[in-house]
Amino acid sequence: MGIQSKTKLVAIVDDDDLMRGALQGLLKAVGLPARAFASAEEFLSSGQYRETACLIADIRMPGMSGLELQAKLNAEHCRIPTIFITAHGDTKMRMQALRAGAVEFMAKPFDDEVLLESVRAALES
Amino acid sequence: MSDPVTGKPIARPAASAALRYGLAFASVAVALGLARMFLHFHLPQTFIALALSAIGITFWYGGSRAGLLAALLASIVRIYFFEPELNVMSRGLYYLVFLIFALLMSWVTRARDELEVRVAERTAELTRANEELKLEIAERKQAEYLIRQVFETSPDGIAILGPDYRFQRINPAYEHDWEIPAETIVGMYAADLLGLEMFEKVKSNLERCFAGEHLSYADWFTNSLGRRRYRAITYSPLRPVAGRVQAVLLIARDFTEHMLASEALRQTQSDLAHVNRVSTMGELTASLAHEVNQPIAAAITDANTCLRWLTRDPPDIDEAREAASRAVKDATRAAEIISRVRLLFKKGTPQRELVDVNEVIREMIVLLRSETSRYSVSVFSDLAADLPQVMGDRVQLQQVLMNLMINGVDAMKGLDTKRELTIRSKRIKNEELMVSVSDTGVGLPPQQADQIFNAFFTTKSHGTGMGLRISRSIVESHGGRLWATDNPPRGASFHLSLSTKAETHE
Repeated sequence: MGIQSKTKLVAIVDDDDLMRGALQGLLKAVGLPARAFASAEEFLSSGQYRETACLIADIRMPGMSGLELQAKLNAEHCRIPTIFITAHGDTKMRMQALRAGAVEFMAKPFDDEVLLESVRAALES
Repeated sequence: MSDPVTGKPIARPAASAALRYGLAFASVAVALGLARMFLHFHLPQTFIALALSAIGITFWYGGSRAGLLAALLASIVRIYFFEPELNVMSRGLYYLVFLIFALLMSWVTRARDELEVRVAERTAELTRANEELKLEIAERKQAEYLIRQVFETSPDGIAILGPDYRFQRINPAYEHDWEIPAETIVGMYAADLLGLEMFEKVKSNLERCFAGEHLSYADWFTNSLGRRRYRAITYSPLRPVAGRVQAVLLIARDFTEHMLASEALRQTQSDLAHVNRVSTMGELTASLAHEVNQPIAAAITDANTCLRWLTRDPPDIDEAREAASRAVKDATRAAEIISRVRLLFKKGTPQRELVDVNEVIREMIVLLRSETSRYSVSVFSDLAADLPQVMGDRVQLQQVLMNLMINGVDAMKGLDTKRELTIRSKRIKNEELMVSVSDTGVGLPPQQADQIFNAFFTTKSHGTGMGLRISRSIVESHGGRLWATDNPPRGASFHLSLSTKAETHE
């Protein structure tokens, strides 16, 4: 209950509607407040990134990619702990993401326990 | 008077005046001589008869003037040589007799001349008519020969069918087509030759032709030996005399080889299209795997979530159900993608069915979503709501769209600028629709805008140069067109037009 009292939001940015629904459903099941966005642009324009304690993002998306979003947030000094989930991530991309401050880099399909652990860790940090 | 044809004189021969008048003198002199000779033998009164003969002969052969001269001479001769002492009354009577005879002869001669002229004219007319007739007969023979030659040697089968649907006449080509001797076919009932099934189809055409219509169609026919031939048939009504159609002229042209060749071409085209699809799909393997992986990952997450709701104490059945139904949706999506991909891999003969082009576009956008997002390409679609369906092969149309969209993505891959792929559909004319695929990539190679459709033309390092060529031949086999234009300010647009008329294009 301690986590919820901080009203810290988990943001999900993924262009795939099914994946968005699945992640939102998972977070709801463990009692974490989450909001989903279909694109990086939508997330940025919502203004909610200021209240976001943890970001779960896809890397490849039409328009702004997950890595570009991370760079943009970093440039605005808004370092949100970010978990990347991608289907086709290579080592180079992984290194780039981690260097930019990503807390986790996961391949689809992912282990939900590992994901939740990372989310909790990010929220407590 | 002369013959208009020969130019020869046809009236009394124009004997010289000397001869004609000479005849008058001579004949009267002969009459005088004979009369005097008869007088010597105590036969009096013969001059009058001889003179009349002389006058008659002169009229006949020498003409009217010479005859009149002979009459005058005969009168004078009579007065001086015979009975010069006769009284005025008797002399007058003699003159009158000669005069009447002369007039009579003059009339006879003229009538004869006129008759001769008429006979000559009639003869000339008959000769002319005869010549014309000969000419016409020769022409007819020539025409008949030509018609017979055409009929006998025509490579097209020709048959004449009577109103009782029996064959009246056939040519050797028709005989050869059916591989039945002409003697057997002539007199045969059409249904016996064509078979009942084919006859049923043909009958209405024959009926229409007997009603005066000229018509043609093409179909496959099986002959007596079971050989299938594709024939284009025309029916023309025959009316030898104005009025009712008395027979039907049937001309059958064999297009079997053409049909087989075009079928083989279609098959080759379809095989080539298949190769192109498979190789294109091969290049897309990573993206397609991702596209399938995505819903599977979501399904696993949703299933796990469902388990979480169920293992709670107490279990939250409503939430669990929701998660489970999401998992079902995820798995369905994965299955759909796989079946679409499998359809594209499938090799089959081109089908003709009514296709919703907007649906094809939407499906392709979904199928290529991973490929587009992999290269950070934003896809926009602007699809007309009132788009009519087209008759075509669904898989091949998808393939065209796939080729065009992948080309668009390829054209933008290496660029740092905004990458946008826009697909539009709209109605352009009453019976035509247009689909455009526009990118913001490198654009068309300058001065080579149309060469890009040539086989083996490629600007890509890994390209086969077949994609656009095959796309164009697919579109053309659907009776449409495929062309490219610049997409200002940057990039290229590919447009394809398709006919929405519900007909198949061979």
